[in-house]
Amino acid sequence: MNRSLQMKAGLCAVIILLATYGMLPTFKALSISHAEREAAKANPTRLAQIEEIDSKAIRRGLDLKGGMYLVLEVDQAGMDPNQAADSLKRVKEILYNRIDKFGVSEPEITTFGTNRIVVKLPGLQDPERAKALLGKTAKLEFRLVRQPEELTDALARLDQAFLGDKPAPVAADTSLAATDPTELAQRPFSGLLVTQPGISSTPMFVPEEDVERIAAMLEDPRALSRLRGVEFQLGMEPVTSGARKLRPLYLVDGKASVAGDQLTDAQAGADHEHPGMWMVNFSLNNRGAREFARLTGENIGRSLAISLDGRISSAPTIQSRIAGSGQISGRFSNAEATDLALLLRAGALPTDISIAEERTVGPSLGSDSIRMGVNASLVGSLLVVLFMVVYYRVSGLIAVAALTANILILLAVLAQFNLVLTLPGLAGVALTVGMAVDANVLINERIREELRKDKSVRAAVQAGYHNAQRTIIDSNLTTLISGIVLLWFGTGPIKGFAVTMSIGILTSMFTALVMTQVITEIMLLNPKKQSLSI
Amino acid sequence: MMEFFTKTNFKFTGAMKFNFTLSGIAFVASIVLLIAHGGPRYSIDFTGGSVLQVKFAPSPGISQVRGVLEKGGEAGVQVTEFGASDEFLVTLPARKGAESTDATRVAKVALDQLHQAFPNSQIDVRRTESVGPKVGGELRTAAVNSVIVGVFLIAVYVWFRFVFRYGIAAIIALLHDVMLTLGIFSLLNLEVSLQIVAALLTIVGYSINDTIVVFDRIRENMGLRRKESYREVINRSINETLSRTILTSLTTFTVAVVLWAMGGPVIRDFAFAMSFGVFVGTYSSIFIASPLLVWWSDKQINDKKRASPAM
Repeated sequence: MNRSLQMKAGLCAVIILLATYGMLPTFKALSISHAEREAAKANPTRLAQIEEIDSKAIRRGLDLKGGMYLVLEVDQAGMDPNQAADSLKRVKEILYNRIDKFGVSEPEITTFGTNRIVVKLPGLQDPERAKALLGKTAKLEFRLVRQPEELTDALARLDQAFLGDKPAPVAADTSLAATDPTELAQRPFSGLLVTQPGISSTPMFVPEEDVERIAAMLEDPRALSRLRGVEFQLGMEPVTSGARKLRPLYLVDGKASVAGDQLTDAQAGADHEHPGMWMVNFSLNNRGAREFARLTGENIGRSLAISLDGRISSAPTIQSRIAGSGQISGRFSNAEATDLALLLRAGALPTDISIAEERTVGPSLGSDSIRMGVNASLVGSLLVVLFMVVYYRVSGLIAVAALTANILILLAVLAQFNLVLTLPGLAGVALTVGMAVDANVLINERIREELRKDKSVRAAVQAGYHNAQRTIIDSNLTTLISGIVLLWFGTGPIKGFAVTMSIGILTSMFTALVMTQVITEIMLLNPKKQSLSI
Repeated sequence: MMEFFTKTNFKFTGAMKFNFTLSGIAFVASIVLLIAHGGPRYSIDFTGGSVLQVKFAPSPGISQVRGVLEKGGEAGVQVTEFGASDEFLVTLPARKGAESTDATRVAKVALDQLHQAFPNSQIDVRRTESVGPKVGGELRTAAVNSVIVGVFLIAVYVWFRFVFRYGIAAIIALLHDVMLTLGIFSLLNLEVSLQIVAALLTIVGYSINDTIVVFDRIRENMGLRRKESYREVINRSINETLSRTILTSLTTFTVAVVLWAMGGPVIRDFAFAMSFGVFVGTYSSIFIASPLLVWWSDKQINDKKRASPAM
């Protein structure tokens, strides 16, 4: 065996060993049954072991594992580039804190472009709750409720703002509100409201059916421009008055007296006033506590609204000077209160965010996809193997060995570099098999051609590899170009496909050009061998 | 020894006119189909909107599900069976002027309607996808760009490794493959999604692979067989690489078809695009790309006195 062949053989052996080693955790992870995983949940040491194995195994994409992929868009209206970049960074941090406490394993949060954040939550069980948790601004504010005499003026201003608008039909059974069309035309805003069913600090109510309409009117620029230093905010929950549900509407200060960023802690606790309900207890830092004490001390007897994301949870009357801590009671369920406390602890988002893209795959579809994807890939590969062996016999077997090594190396690279295997990625592996034989076919056809020219076996093999090499490199590099473009363009599962395809091209070039040559040449070391099964 | 297509001597360039006409007709037909259908039928990936994949146990049947959702009032809602008779794909196109978050909300509303209408069925939400119209528009631009950039980069590489006109011939063959695949999708009324764009790029990569193998042989034979005409050399090269071309196409085609048949509904269209693309890609490598070189040289120089062989 000459030196160069020895070196090549050594290289192949090392690479195959490394690939096998790299794939061990994946094989191990596959061998752990579902029942075993369930049982391990009660056993922390075993669970840690399994997690350790899983972390080194090939990662499955969201489409195979189940989970949620979200693209969130950060509202950057009116920000300069510096502020915008800063807002993106802060939103990402806050979202990370929220998810961290939500208890999803291996969440991934990355920024994308100048105003987007991509969130990947593998294995997520409750997508609706996660969305609510991520999408909330969680801006906590304390605002003084304005005096009743100011209310009349503010209502008149809003009526003025919408005067002349074609009055929309009022909800059918709005018996308490002004249903008379002429009155509604004169008082387009206040005509929708209900007054005083007996709770003193909230002078106005909105019938539940009209809440969306009122909310839209309050955000109308005409309304905003006419109110100075004050703001209307709706309550979070309706109150029941007889058979009707009414939503309180408060006139509050235009600016927060104390904001939620002064918060140091928030915890869910039982709401003693409403048995069975939950509330959130919070405490403030030094500065917040000082401001809160001053505010409450100066305004004893007035109402203080606790506003969360622009909706008021409650507006208790200030009885005495309060420092340091308080409660938010909104008749929450346990889960709601827990999530709200979590949001408050993680901090408010500096700006609004919206969901621009959402893809959720349930775990059942994920496992179905794996089963079908793996089966199809195996059957496809098997057909190719069968074909190669029938057509090229021993040389076909060599090609199949190279193909097997190729897949092993490809998967090991995925595992080692922590890349993700998706369903299209699985298809990519199968297609790689189909395409990888190309190099072997090229070489074998070349060798056959040379043999037809009556060359000796050794000369034919040499010439065959030599001539095929350039073609293989040229044709594979062009295919690689499209793979790289796809890598650049693709997101999520598509990227997974581009990754397996691109790596597959590179590994197949290696196995076809180097590995099969080594095997063939070693076979030909026997001087008596004068023919080749090809 | 098992062999196909050895020592063939098909006159590929002889049927040039026929093949160009055939491909030309298919190409134009694809464009006409696309125009008639108002462009490709983009999936919600590109238009914005929502998709819900739900599995019922027991299944109330597609007409019931469709009825409930159509009565639910969301305009343009579509319900199709997905892989099995108890599994449905609900497509909700984006409303005009919709905000990005609306898509997720619409999907939720549709799901609530189903839960309400079929309280006795267990509904497994297998998959939801919602794309805001803005993101959809961006994805569409990115998709179109990626195909253009992909084809362009490949042409530049071919130009660099061979000569200019090989690059042009390669581009034409690639555009042919992409257009015909889009055409068949339009004909069968299949949706063009992100996955299909990925398939298109793969087809481009695959088709160029075949083309390069032939080009490479042409280049080699140019040097070896100086007495033969350009046309003869090209014919010989296609014939010499024919068995390889057919073999490789067959294996890749086999895998793609198996994926189509067994890979499950999620990647069925992708596998279909691949199968079709491998087929037209192989065809175009043999019958379009290389004959184009002949046609070009026929135009430019007298076939008999080949002035300077390419490379």
